[in-house]
Amino acid sequence: MNVIFLILILFLVGAIVTAFAGKWSSLLQDGLFILAVTIPAVLFFTQVEMNQLVGWTRGGIHLELGLTPFSYFFAILVLLLGVASAIYSVGFMHGKARKSYYYFNYLLTIMAMLGILFSRDFISFFVFWEIMTWASYLMVVMNGTRTQEIGIKYFVFSAIGAYAMLMAIVLIHAQTGNFLIQDFIDTYPSLAHGRQILIPILLLVGFSVKAAVMPLHVWAPGSYAYSPMSFTSVFSGALSKMGIYGMVIVFVTLLSHLPEGGLIRDIIAWMGAMTAVIATLWAIAQDDARKLLAYSSVGQLGYIVIAVAIGTPMAMLAGLFMAFMHGLFKGALFMVVGAVEKQTGTTDFTKVTGLIRKMPWTFLTALISIIALAGIPPLGGFIGKWMLYESLILSDHYLLVIVAFFSSTAAFLYAYKFLFGFFLGQEEEEWADVKEAPITMLIPMLALAVGSILLGAFPQLILKPINNGLISLGFSDSYGKLWETSTLFNEWGDKVVLQPIIYAIMGVFLTTLAFTYFRNRKRTRYVSTKDISTSGEIPLAHENLTFKENFFQPFLRAVEPVMKKQIDWYYREFGAGLEAIFNFTRRIYSGNGQTYALYAVIFLIVLLLLNGNLFGQ
Amino acid sequence: MVGSPVLFVAIPLLAAFLIPLMGMIWKEFVRIIPGLVLAYMLVLSVSLIIYIQSHGTIVEVISGWGPPVGINLVFSPFSGALTTLMTFLGLLVWLYSHKFKRNVDYEPAKKYFILLMLMVTGSVGMVLTGDLFNMFVFIEIVSISGYGLTSFFVRRDSAEAAFKFLLMGAFASSFLLIGIMIIYTQLGTLNMAEIAQRMPQMDYHMKVFSLIFILVAIGVEAETFPLNGWAPDVYTQAPGPISAAMSGIVVKAAVYANIRIIYTMYDLQGAYEYLLIIGLITFIVAETAALKQERLKRMLAYSSIGQMGLAMIAFGIGTKEGVYAALFLMFSHAIIKSLLFFSGSYLVYNKTSKYIKHVNGMGKYLPITAFLFTLGAFAIIGLPPFMGFWSKLALLSAAADSNLVILVAVILVVSIVEAVYYLRVVNRIFFFKKRANTKPEKPTINAMIAMLSLAAIVLVIGFYPDLVTGLIERAADDLMDKGRYIGEILSKN
Amino acid sequence: MEILQYIFGGIITFLLAFVVGMTFGGTRRKIIARIQNRYGPPIYQNFIDAFKLFSKTSAVHHGAMHYMGPAFLMVSSVVSLMFIPILRDGGWFPNLNFHGDLIFLLYMMVFGSLGMALGAGQTGNPNSAIGVTRGLAQMVGYEIPWIMALVAMMIQFHTTSITGLMDVQLQSGTWNLFASPFAFVAAILASLGMFRYAPFNIVGAPAELASGPASENGGKYLFTMMSSHSVFAFVKLTLFADLFLGGAGNLVELLIKTFLLYMIPVLYGVVNPRYRTEQAVRWFWGWPTVFGIIAIAYAVWST
Repeated sequence: MNVIFLILILFLVGAIVTAFAGKWSSLLQDGLFILAVTIPAVLFFTQVEMNQLVGWTRGGIHLELGLTPFSYFFAILVLLLGVASAIYSVGFMHGKARKSYYYFNYLLTIMAMLGILFSRDFISFFVFWEIMTWASYLMVVMNGTRTQEIGIKYFVFSAIGAYAMLMAIVLIHAQTGNFLIQDFIDTYPSLAHGRQILIPILLLVGFSVKAAVMPLHVWAPGSYAYSPMSFTSVFSGALSKMGIYGMVIVFVTLLSHLPEGGLIRDIIAWMGAMTAVIATLWAIAQDDARKLLAYSSVGQLGYIVIAVAIGTPMAMLAGLFMAFMHGLFKGALFMVVGAVEKQTGTTDFTKVTGLIRKMPWTFLTALISIIALAGIPPLGGFIGKWMLYESLILSDHYLLVIVAFFSSTAAFLYAYKFLFGFFLGQEEEEWADVKEAPITMLIPMLALAVGSILLGAFPQLILKPINNGLISLGFSDSYGKLWETSTLFNEWGDKVVLQPIIYAIMGVFLTTLAFTYFRNRKRTRYVSTKDISTSGEIPLAHENLTFKENFFQPFLRAVEPVMKKQIDWYYREFGAGLEAIFNFTRRIYSGNGQTYALYAVIFLIVLLLLNGNLFGQ
Repeated sequence: MVGSPVLFVAIPLLAAFLIPLMGMIWKEFVRIIPGLVLAYMLVLSVSLIIYIQSHGTIVEVISGWGPPVGINLVFSPFSGALTTLMTFLGLLVWLYSHKFKRNVDYEPAKKYFILLMLMVTGSVGMVLTGDLFNMFVFIEIVSISGYGLTSFFVRRDSAEAAFKFLLMGAFASSFLLIGIMIIYTQLGTLNMAEIAQRMPQMDYHMKVFSLIFILVAIGVEAETFPLNGWAPDVYTQAPGPISAAMSGIVVKAAVYANIRIIYTMYDLQGAYEYLLIIGLITFIVAETAALKQERLKRMLAYSSIGQMGLAMIAFGIGTKEGVYAALFLMFSHAIIKSLLFFSGSYLVYNKTSKYIKHVNGMGKYLPITAFLFTLGAFAIIGLPPFMGFWSKLALLSAAADSNLVILVAVILVVSIVEAVYYLRVVNRIFFFKKRANTKPEKPTINAMIAMLSLAAIVLVIGFYPDLVTGLIERAADDLMDKGRYIGEILSKN
Repeated sequence: MEILQYIFGGIITFLLAFVVGMTFGGTRRKIIARIQNRYGPPIYQNFIDAFKLFSKTSAVHHGAMHYMGPAFLMVSSVVSLMFIPILRDGGWFPNLNFHGDLIFLLYMMVFGSLGMALGAGQTGNPNSAIGVTRGLAQMVGYEIPWIMALVAMMIQFHTTSITGLMDVQLQSGTWNLFASPFAFVAAILASLGMFRYAPFNIVGAPAELASGPASENGGKYLFTMMSSHSVFAFVKLTLFADLFLGGAGNLVELLIKTFLLYMIPVLYGVVNPRYRTEQAVRWFWGWPTVFGIIAIAYAVWST
């Protein structure tokens, strides 16, 4: 059997076996679950050969699977996060309800994502895409909170996306006679102009839903926030990147043949920019860590969309690099939230406070990941941001730079809020007994954080697969030799050399730390957060000095005009309007037999009156 | 040849007379014999399907009177496939209700099983017959057994629903008779092949008149808008398995009749557009009406109407791909909707009002039933890798191939509505708290077998659609080839 | 050897920045005092304060982040300093400016406030956190005209490096102050927020927040913070001189230019009362941003 099939089938069998193994032993189930992720991952990295196609026919449709260098890059992300989050899940789900359900859907989601990356024809692509959708839908509703609202919203938007894609797929089939992706790419330049525009737009709608591009992003905050955190790290980290994966393919292989392609790209880039701004502002306003990160994910995806939509060689690299980085740090951050939730039972900033001394390793992960998220050198986040700004400036998208920079600066606000909210501030009695998260949760978190540091020093580790992937897509115009050294540079000859920066930062940091810490270590003693000078008064033990409510109120007041109404509101109104109309169609069926008889008679009479025109000659 | 198509009609009718007599010997016969008959019909149908693959269509002439004078039964790949589907579903419905009605008295049980058997028989007859008047007779058999079964629970609401059904059925019968009369006066024959052959000679206006009457009449049974007012009431009030049988068997037969008449008998091109438009309206109205329903079976009823609209759209496209898609849709809908009715009935078992809110929290108490309902819901929404996906794909593909881009878009948009109301129910089943006054009822073993076998089909076809696509493709070929149909029947002359 | 040279040069640069920054700070205190009709402290008062703080022994700490806060602040100031050309030809002040460009610098410069904010957060003093939230909000405000000014210059002169922008001025013979005047205005207006002097001193806000983020720090912590603030002031002034006033050929020129630039926020501040936070943020999104947009338009038009 081909190893690609084997991987997919291992996931499927693993999902079913794991789901039932819980009946016998919880430990066995955990073990099986880890194996069900790691074995296919190992197989993937050791056995799968590039560019090897496997074809078969199902229902009269020719299907092909295979791995391209471009999907290889995304598969790295999926499997990395998949394995890390799986290990984390074992700790996270320990003692929680619906564990089998969780494992089953988790494995199916990972399988579906790999399947998407393997697909070389639209039908497999769509099938895996939909499996991914419903498996993740089942995760979103898993906690049982607000399922009718959040879950349905997620599904409806996914369905809008998926059906747009399905429409494109059947139109493609009508044009080429088969469903192979490569065949379509080859025939695309010769299509009629109307189809040439319609098909990419439909595909882009489909992908932008998963990539949470405004105005199709409204599902994302709720869905990210209400899934189990261990899954959200995959959901936001890897699953949303499937949208980016598809978008890049559309941009590179289709829109580059289209005269209007540039316009469409600019529109998408601006939609990404708006997403980044609005989502960042909303993230600042959140008091729940899960929602904060959820909005932040949407915002970060906005940058990625800007980058890939601009589509210059450096922007492409920037976008895909940021996509990978986002997977690492946002994956880790959601795990941090999960750890806090597990240990304290809440994710509300206004409740939890001062955990830094209780959960130091969790804090360390959060700190590193937040630095990476904020784009501060020398971590990986900076490299993505740098390439993004440079490519925007060099490709004459000046206003986009400003917008992107604005939201990236505003991101500092929620970044700080996240760290301060959980870990800093007053240490309260209530949380005095909180313990550090179990080791199975710490290791994956820290591993992802280390990844962020590593990529800050050696971006070539991931830039090289990205470049290979882009070349395989037909994006031959690769950017210099950016991925060979730890040097970033642009076409104007400006550069950033990473090593001296890292040395300088580390040197100054350690020197100062030595100055303030090592000399004082013996002489100073730790005092609690109650032992502070609040205008000369010493606070009593029961006095709560935590500052959490309305944290960024002054800033939010300043940006109030843009935050009056969420886009959500318009959708809700629209939905309510539709339901009212549907309520009317329901009333057509009055329940009165006489009415029905009347309908029949009227219908007959109408048809008879029409008769000459009815059936043609 | 293993048997004759005549047996499809003869055996059940014979059994229907014998059952009361046998019931006097041992009461259980009342329950068992219909099952045996249905099983026999299934076996017969499968073996005939295999037979005709090598020997071609069977045209059985009853009592030696050749067409066009006598009545004939046609077992072609198309009608054969439908017969198999119907008998299979009939058997499952019987299996499902075998113990379901154990606590019911002897008299009602006798009526129930006899009527169920007759309903299946009538539907099979409609599909197999090659004679227009004979079709009318079978429609009457189906309708009358339908009235009886609807009012099975002797309640005010059931009686009302049955009465509405009866009212509409009466209209349908009279319109159909008028249509048949027009044809007979014009062409002097009631044999469908003969009619098809002579159709070009008929006066255009007469042709249109007759078609209108027949379409309106059969439209009542086929649940086309706006003639389907009876359906939601009947589906809600009839016992669960009967709702499944209605949507899986009776409506399929009616759609068959509709299609046979338009595709084979008439040569009016505009009739396809009629199918397309009426199908689309039916689809949109039914799916949107379903969204705001409060009762589970009523919601399923609207969904069922909508799916039939979808099948009519597919037929209306008129290409071979369209017919293929339509048949695939009918097949998958029959399976999935039966699964939904079967499992849904247990989820709201103890409440006569059958409100959707009664399913709250049932996932905890009836895990397998709830899982099967979910599977059915996912499949009917058209999520891969379940069966519904392939049929929906075939439909959309057919529409796109005929350049009906707007149609594709409309179908997809309305499908989102469908997804919403099904998922709302699924969410209720698993993630809501059980209401205090609902009592979960464990399905009987028979019911479980019936549901599991349907679920197995949903999954297996989902992963391996090739099992049925060949069969459906041959059926589609058969329907499209009008000349061969006429030739094969008239050659028996 | 190269590394030693950089370390040595770095120390010299640091000392220069420290001395200049402290002196400027003292001058400011004097100027404000005279305007308010007080006698004011001597110009070298800041050195006395620093020495006093340096020689004090800290007795308490609030945990790891409390230690690291000042360190982060120092990293931001010193590393930024290392990536900015002090004099046109380097000379005694060799640095790393070939290894980083403006965008890098932009991020490096905000790094400190975030690090400090974390350190302040662990002390648990509510005033610190309030100060931090105000500071971050104000930062989002002034970064907009600031990046606009920088982007305008980048597209006008096709380079994103500071040295590149200095070379442009050297070759054309005109300062960027005249070559792209709107960018200069936007940048200077943004600098008012960067220096956090009145009316933008909402972070420390002496009367309200008891000096905000700094409030739990004393002794060496406060010394570290104070010196890094001084260095950072010098960093900003030198950067402005480099970008808009053609850099400096020698130390005297550098001192004159930076002093003149320093007077802008100082003098603007003494005559204005403190803004509320949202007023400050909106102020930056008003005229400064308009100038920024004009600057970009001008840059696009002139290339």
